[in-house]
Amino acid sequence: MPRLLLIPAIISASFVILIIMFVIQKGASPFLFSRYGDQKVSFIRFMMGQTWFIPPNEYGILYIVINTVYVVSLAAIISSPIAIFSGLFIAKIVPKIFKNLFQTVVELLAAIPSIIYGVFGLGVITKFVVRIASLGGIQTAGGISGMATVLVLAVMIYPTITLMSVTAINTVDHDLEKASLALGATKIQTLFKVTLASAKPGIITGIVLGLGRALGEATAVSMVAGNAGSGPVFDLFKTTRTLTSTMLLGFKETSGLDYDIRFSVGVVLIFIIIAFNILLGHFKKKAGRFA
Amino acid sequence: MKTNRHRLDKIYLSLISFISLFGVVILVLVFAYIFNKGTRLLSWNLIVGDYYPEVYNARSDGVIGENMFVRPENLSENAWFSAKWGIALEDNADFEGKNYIKVVYIDKNSPLANMPDKNDTNHMVGLKKGHSLDKVIFTNNVIVLSREGAQNAILLFDEAEGIADIIFSKPGNGIRGSLITTGYLILFTLIIALPLGIFTAIYLNEFANPGRWYVKWLRRLVETLTGVPSIIYGLFGAALFIPFISSITSSEGGNILTGALTLSVMVLPIVISATEDALKAIPDDFRHASLALGANRSQTTFKIVLRAAIPGILSGVLLSIGRIIGESAALIYAVGTAIKDKIILTEKSTSLSVFIWSVMSGENPNFELAASVAIIIMIFVLLLNLGIKIISSKFIFKHN
Repeated sequence: MPRLLLIPAIISASFVILIIMFVIQKGASPFLFSRYGDQKVSFIRFMMGQTWFIPPNEYGILYIVINTVYVVSLAAIISSPIAIFSGLFIAKIVPKIFKNLFQTVVELLAAIPSIIYGVFGLGVITKFVVRIASLGGIQTAGGISGMATVLVLAVMIYPTITLMSVTAINTVDHDLEKASLALGATKIQTLFKVTLASAKPGIITGIVLGLGRALGEATAVSMVAGNAGSGPVFDLFKTTRTLTSTMLLGFKETSGLDYDIRFSVGVVLIFIIIAFNILLGHFKKKAGRFA
Repeated sequence: MKTNRHRLDKIYLSLISFISLFGVVILVLVFAYIFNKGTRLLSWNLIVGDYYPEVYNARSDGVIGENMFVRPENLSENAWFSAKWGIALEDNADFEGKNYIKVVYIDKNSPLANMPDKNDTNHMVGLKKGHSLDKVIFTNNVIVLSREGAQNAILLFDEAEGIADIIFSKPGNGIRGSLITTGYLILFTLIIALPLGIFTAIYLNEFANPGRWYVKWLRRLVETLTGVPSIIYGLFGAALFIPFISSITSSEGGNILTGALTLSVMVLPIVISATEDALKAIPDDFRHASLALGANRSQTTFKIVLRAAIPGILSGVLLSIGRIIGESAALIYAVGTAIKDKIILTEKSTSLSVFIWSVMSGENPNFELAASVAIIIMIFVLLLNLGIKIISSKFIFKHN
């Protein structure tokens, strides 16, 4: 019996390998073969390019990678402090009767599908960006912009980081906090210098998960990012273009170079996420050691 | 000194509390937005209707007497009634704000309820409640246009003797096809993912020796699946499952089956971790008691342990359903974005979420329709979350 059960386990485990294999195989094809009557796509120019598409067969992705990292980092910078405070609030500050309510609110935010955040982004957040921009007399493409992308992502990763922070803060040993209070520290001092410090590894895991979600988030981002043809774009009021929006926007035909090159973008996304996880895994270990 | 510090403490605490309202504010904003935009179109017709409108073209030979119909009492005040033809019309606006004339009542004996189709005179068509009246040319050459409003139309109807040409349509924008597709996707995804996920979890938790190198690797690979973004699942489905299904069926390109296969890989880690959590929570006493009574390990696992784990597995199922209903990016690649009214498993169709993507990504994004479907999705999400809460609070073994 155990031998027989090894089969489903191996199938389940093999999917990660299959995913990487199949996406790379299809994503590498534009650089290796000239299947659609065009020349092969230059890999070097693809990796170094500052313009998405120069007909007939030149693609560039470097600026899109920079855009992606830029908006995702900004989203994390905005969202993390709010989320960590919210975690602290839910775990330690709010009266017991409301604790469940606040926890449920955040869980619901986590459960809202990204397409609904997309509709919300296009219907509310872009309008908000237009208003902000008009204060400074800046024109935007109907609010479709880097700032809208950052705000949508910040909203979307907020529940992830908050829930992880709550879990991390709840596991902090009460004796530590009591000791701190007994030594005369105020509640805030205890929360910041003892509770948060001990919960740091868990909170960082939450931020990593949030960043991972933001990097891979496709639908909502595609609806508010726009499709800047070249870049990198650092002006938050201009349209931008991320890896995922490049994959989704204008997706119609299911063959041809325009289809295959989207898989190449996917491969780049996979490698960024892998690299990112290794980097932050390392960082997390360090943070854990000094906690 | 001390009071000063405590005052500062209070300020900080209220500041943190204030910032923490962010989540509540966002949730209220999201709900307020989709309910504000979406409730107008939310109706039974939206749920059971077709997406594509159907246009009819007919003429009427009906002989009409004067004032033979009676205005029904439950008609709203905005409706204009023609006693001669037995119909009531009302002004209405579609999502783009364009006015059209909506049929709100039609007597079953009305000549308009049964007219020969212009394109096929043996075929009879009829005006029905809910249809939109687009254009009428009477035998006295007077023309009714929908933009001129319901009151004008009724006046002209009452003057007219016969109808040479009438164009009316059953309005579209219904989501029946997408609802059915979502149901199919849930069904087939779970059929594939549940056995695979449950058996994997049983192996990893009950039989595998955690010290072995290959068990460590199996676990690590399964856990990695959690971090894969949904769009990558879509690429994978397009690269593996579309060619696979195309080679064994007559389908071309993405279809519901390729979508279900892709989604089943996506929910696999959810099923596995929910099952494993449930198995871990079962006290070893259960296993020992069963073994002591003479049952072997397989009997113990499948008859005792698995049965006790059912609530936990069920909450994994609910989580998976939530993920399937909400998924868009993976399905855009693995299935496509073409909205269908007639659902065939080996053809393209959209789930509710991809339906929203489709109506939002055109030249004129249809916010109202998108928000109505979003309300329906949110109702499902709320119910699923409630279900998970109930299960986890009532039925699942608690860790000591």
